[in-house]
Amino acid sequence: MTIEQYAAPETLDELTRLLSGGNALIFAGGTDVMPQTRAGARQFQPYLINASRVAGLRGISREGARIRIGALTTVTDILESNLLSEHVPVLVEAADCFASGQVRNTATLGGNLCNASPAADLAIPLLLVDAELELSSNDNGAPSRRVVPISDFFVAPGKTVLKPTEILTRVIFDAPPSGFRARFIKFGTRPALDIAVVSVGVAGATANMVFAITRVAFGAAAPTPIRGKKTEELLEGRLLVDDTILAASSAAQKDVSPISDVRGSAWYRRELVRTLTERALHDVA
Amino acid sequence: MTVIEKQTLIGKAIPKLDGPKKVTGEARYVQDIELPRMLFAKILRSSRVHARIVRIDTSAARKLPGVHAVITAADTPGVPLGHGKDNPPLKSDKVRSLRDEVAAVAAESEDIAERALSLIEVDYEDLPAVFDPNAALLDDAPVIHESHPDNIPFTYEYSQGDVGQGERDSDVVIEDKFTLHFVTHCCMGVSGAVAQFDADDNLTVYSQTQVPFLYKKDIAPIIDVPPEKIRVIQPSIGGGFGSKLDIYPFEPICILLARATRRPVKLTFTREEEFLASPTRQPVELTLRSGVKKDGTLTFRDVATVHDNGAYTSWGATTPFVIMQTISSLYRVPHCSYRTTVVYTNNPYSGSFRGFGNLQATFAVESHMDKLAEAVAMDPLAFRLQNAQQPGETTPQGMVFRSCGLAECLTTAAERSGFVEKHARYSRYGRGQNGQGGPVKRGVGIASLLHVGGGAKIYRSDGCGTMLKIDDYGHVTVLTGASEIGQGSETVIAQFVAEELGLPISSISVVNDDSELTPWDVGVHASRTTFIAGNSAQRAARKAREKLLAAAATKLELSAEELDLREGNVTRADTGEALLELPRLIRSLHFAKKSEVVMTAEYYEPPSVPQDKEFKGDVSASYAFGTQVVELEVDTETGVIRIVKVTAAHDVGRVINSLGIQGQIEGGVAMGMGYAISEHLLVDEGVIQNPCFRDYKLVTAPEMPEIDMHFIETLDPEGPSGAKGVGEAPAICIAAAVVNAVYNATGTRFDSLPLTPERVLRRLKNHA
Ligand SMILES: Cc1cc2nc3c(=O)[nH]c(=O)nc-3n(C[C@H](O)[C@H](O)[C@H](O)COP(=O)(O)OP(=O)(O)OC[C@H]3O[C@@H](n4cnc5c(N)ncnc54)[C@H](O)[C@@H]3O)c2cc1C
Repeated sequence: MTIEQYAAPETLDELTRLLSGGNALIFAGGTDVMPQTRAGARQFQPYLINASRVAGLRGISREGARIRIGALTTVTDILESNLLSEHVPVLVEAADCFASGQVRNTATLGGNLCNASPAADLAIPLLLVDAELELSSNDNGAPSRRVVPISDFFVAPGKTVLKPTEILTRVIFDAPPSGFRARFIKFGTRPALDIAVVSVGVAGATANMVFAITRVAFGAAAPTPIRGKKTEELLEGRLLVDDTILAASSAAQKDVSPISDVRGSAWYRRELVRTLTERALHDVA
Repeated sequence: MTVIEKQTLIGKAIPKLDGPKKVTGEARYVQDIELPRMLFAKILRSSRVHARIVRIDTSAARKLPGVHAVITAADTPGVPLGHGKDNPPLKSDKVRSLRDEVAAVAAESEDIAERALSLIEVDYEDLPAVFDPNAALLDDAPVIHESHPDNIPFTYEYSQGDVGQGERDSDVVIEDKFTLHFVTHCCMGVSGAVAQFDADDNLTVYSQTQVPFLYKKDIAPIIDVPPEKIRVIQPSIGGGFGSKLDIYPFEPICILLARATRRPVKLTFTREEEFLASPTRQPVELTLRSGVKKDGTLTFRDVATVHDNGAYTSWGATTPFVIMQTISSLYRVPHCSYRTTVVYTNNPYSGSFRGFGNLQATFAVESHMDKLAEAVAMDPLAFRLQNAQQPGETTPQGMVFRSCGLAECLTTAAERSGFVEKHARYSRYGRGQNGQGGPVKRGVGIASLLHVGGGAKIYRSDGCGTMLKIDDYGHVTVLTGASEIGQGSETVIAQFVAEELGLPISSISVVNDDSELTPWDVGVHASRTTFIAGNSAQRAARKAREKLLAAAATKLELSAEELDLREGNVTRADTGEALLELPRLIRSLHFAKKSEVVMTAEYYEPPSVPQDKEFKGDVSASYAFGTQVVELEVDTETGVIRIVKVTAAHDVGRVINSLGIQGQIEGGVAMGMGYAISEHLLVDEGVIQNPCFRDYKLVTAPEMPEIDMHFIETLDPEGPSGAKGVGEAPAICIAAAVVNAVYNATGTRFDSLPLTPERVLRRLKNHA
């Protein structure tokens, strides 16, 4: 497929109007789009829309209890954000083991989520904080918006609930309460420039003087990034003693449904899920 | 009387002369060559692993605007290339592997060429295929080349002493099978060539070859151009590691397209193509039986190997030459026998790769050395020392170790790393006894190596020519046959010349990239360049020095013995007092009545001999040794191996450029580590599964361990200033040291590579 038209709109309104015409592909940092089209794994559409000039979609801010991150915010922006380091260090941890410096400088948060890789690193911490995704479109000339919880956003590898006429504009979540502790562990076979073989995130908070886990999430262990519901249930309200951690890491294996590929077999991914869950829980306990 | 100390350049840290150009992007690689009216070529490769070609229809491709030529086998002289002369540049009757070249296009852009490829129609009739060399040996196996109905292009047999006697002398006999995998060179500069014919049918090829003179002879019949009409220009090469020792189909294809179009043609690979269509290190299955006496004396070794040759024969098929050396001569073994069967399969084919079979051989031999040591309850160091080769030894295979630092390498690497104490301590821990609780276990492993260090006489000559001239400002131009492929030969050659002529290194230019100018050389292989080209350059410079001193002596009315060349001057030999500026001396020669230019030439031929029919003989003028100790951690819950430290002691003869050796050792360790723990070209039924750097895991900077290097200077009597080759050595023994260390840490011994986390965990958990 050859590109017939290229547009670089400067306002969201202009962009959503272009999108509503259909047959368009959004290009943010291009770090997924370019390698995928070159490898023949994805086709360009007749319209290529460069989103990177749209005003107001890049940046991290806090309004009251709510933290908002624009979809065009780069991984480097996340890594260097004092606000995020203070409130959600786990998101910064994920940015810290993401790709390489060059890729981080252009790769965007929106691209990472909308590309919907089961291994998307930034999805895991956002699952831990119950992030909501703001999707914008143009409905017969009028701007329109809907909000989807991140746990409902991913559908299958490379597929989300995003309609072809919609763009992800913002990621929003409540600043975690004090006493919030979380950990993200990405397992790659080398420390840099690696796609996760498996990743694990855990988060918890202190209620009634007891620290307990509230959220567990897994990457590259199912067709999409997922919450570990069974593990969460097992851990709910419980003190993180060794027996509980052991039981939870076995439960984690029931949450996942990994595949075998060149990066690892299903057997190996299950082993990693157990070990990494155990290690992550020990780290926050 | 003030005496000025003589400065020497030998042993100093000299930054590579081509460094600034490479760092700033000024260096021109084949990708950067642009000629007027140049066309771009692309190759159509087979989509089948083994099939008869029924029909090729190129008519639609030819009609595409911008296409200048489409060629198939019918447009070639039909002469096959490669070591086995079994690989036609374009295939006519059948394809035997996925990389097989079927047709090629020259067009005005790469895009057009690529579109043209998609318009070429090829009908195939699939044939049964075979991927396992053992299966290819069965009677009813598919035949890959009709010329070899048994699928065996080569066999090798070697023996010394009487293995039966050795077995009777043994108290312990151990047998193991080792299986080595596919890896590939991963040169940062992908393959490519530019070819151009002039009006007189002279061909200029911009080539990445590391053997420019043999190249002319080898490629001539394939393209039907006489060798004397071929000029080879070698732009900067982005990594060779042996891969550019052979000619692969893409080069004749590029040249044939240039002839068909009468225009310059450029052909460069994509990275994916580089993975799919460059040679690999040969996978080997090696069965090793060794014996030892209770007192720790080795008695015999009996080895049988099966090599997966792939579909065609490149240099990979000849690695037994090197494998045998390690088996027969790394340690003293009185009785030895060795048999190799090289087998055709429908897999990618193997070429020459740094170490040339020695990584595979050393992995097996040095794993076994640890097992044998354990069997006779000796520590691995003491056991190796007891059997180590000594200086002055002539091995049963006929190698003469005029210098040999093996024992010193062993003791140095062991002492500096605390090997003996750690090995004893970790092995207690590793077996689950006291201490070292937790999932992460530590281990140390040791391994040594033997490799040629003074060339290898596999052709009638193993020589190298040098021509040297000095201009009237004292600037020296050295024309050497030796190619620079990133290994630093240019710098070392300049050092030798500068040293003899008492000039700063900046006064020397080295010309090494144009066969029209440079004298003959065998090529870059066998870790030979510092030794052979260095000797040649040093001798050429010595001749110039004698000439200059003789002229100066006449002019100054002194004897030549009283004079020296230092810092650009003719000086007194004893005090260093400057008497005459070198440029003035040269000008006075130019402008004298009987005028003369200062120009010398040298052809250095090492005193080595070719092996006889039984593979015996002193094939190299010098031999290199080394020992590496690896300390590592094994995470027994994830299978991850983290190499913490490598202590490397190498017998380098004499350090010429300490920075250069440091670079070779660091690079060799990275390459050897990759072979040991992460690199794996996954070939499934002939199809490469991971043709990209995302999934083919080279070692990256954060994984590099601390490297503690020790240069053992044994001052080789034949080496230039005592040096010997060290190019391949640092990559050779690390894999063996890694498996030995993993055993030390966990009590689990691996007999195949790479030790990727999943493979390690499977073994530790006994999960098939
Ligand atoms: C060398 C390398 C290393 C990498 N390492 C990692 C890693 O460690 N971890 C990791 O998770 N990923 C990694 N990636 C993948 C990639 O970098 C990330 O997924 C990145 O965040 C994608 O962002 P982008 O802006 O480049 O997306 P693009 O490539 O521009 O877009 C990706 C997809 O999202 C769509 N899209 C982009 N923005 C929006 C939007 N606002 N609304 C709707 N749709 C949108 C695009 O249409 C496209 O389908 C790596 C990639 C490379 C090349």
